[in-house]
Amino acid sequence: MFTGPMGAGKTTAIRAISDAPPVSTEVANTDQATYAKPTTTVALDYGQLLLEDGTAVSLYGTPGQQRFSFMWEILCRGAIGVILLLDGSTANARQELQSYAEAFRRIDPGQPFVIGIGRVPPGDCLLDECARALGSRGIVAPVFGVDVRQREDVLLLIETLLCVLEAHGLEADHAAH
Amino acid sequence: MDSKLIMQPISQRFAPAVAEGTRRLLETLVDATPGVTFAMLTTADGFEIAAHPGALSKAQRLAAMSSSLQALSEAMVNEAGLAGARNLVIESDGGTIIVLGVGKLAPRLALTVVAHGGETLGRLLWATRECCVSMEQQLLPVIG
Repeated sequence: MFTGPMGAGKTTAIRAISDAPPVSTEVANTDQATYAKPTTTVALDYGQLLLEDGTAVSLYGTPGQQRFSFMWEILCRGAIGVILLLDGSTANARQELQSYAEAFRRIDPGQPFVIGIGRVPPGDCLLDECARALGSRGIVAPVFGVDVRQREDVLLLIETLLCVLEAHGLEADHAAH
Repeated sequence: MDSKLIMQPISQRFAPAVAEGTRRLLETLVDATPGVTFAMLTTADGFEIAAHPGALSKAQRLAAMSSSLQALSEAMVNEAGLAGARNLVIESDGGTIIVLGVGKLAPRLALTVVAHGGETLGRLLWATRECCVSMEQQLLPVIG
């Protein structure tokens, strides 16, 4: 499941990797004061991806705005993991990392969690800062700089999420024995 | 996309006088239709323009949910090869929710009506559609 604030690139990321044209629920964005873009997702994005090893992955994207947080909880149920996308060029990327990470950890603390940050200004230490900020809150999550228009970058996030899922499985097996 | 919509935030596009005129139409609908307890006009992206009664604490969440459900309905209609999603009707043990697109306006708007009890669906739909027509007539010169 892809989440993150308005304009972070959730719809773009799913379009970049979905095998078939995704289901989209974009409508005209009337809140230009918050984010100046023509459309916004109000329910979900849905796409599908078949990996080389035959694994079929369903891709869901959430609306970004807090007023749609009821959709976050609905989509989170049953998701194998969460990919949080952020726009690194915005002044409040650090606060958004904190608020979205905490919101989704509250919904399901055990879900594999991966962060992708786009448009990071050159020389900015945002990725390191975000990893440290998450660590200080006890949240273990890989953090990547990504361009969500690039299929390879989005696939990296998906593959990392699957690796985290596998590691969780191994830990559970180890604990059981 | 209408450039006016991009340049102006919603608070400027829907002036208080427009919202009040809309609210009066919603009040008429609620008062004249047995069972209807709440009516609200929203933008397609989930913002309340006007509601009656106005004190319902859940209005903002209902506005967002109405937007999501309408968009999902439209996606399903397209997926099924149909065209032009118009109405969404949810019937429950306690009553009925109707979400109607208010046509001919840009941006797209929706009228959400909540009815308790056993009023017939046909009567609710008729009253809601009549209210939609009145809203189109009132809003078209202002925002259409």
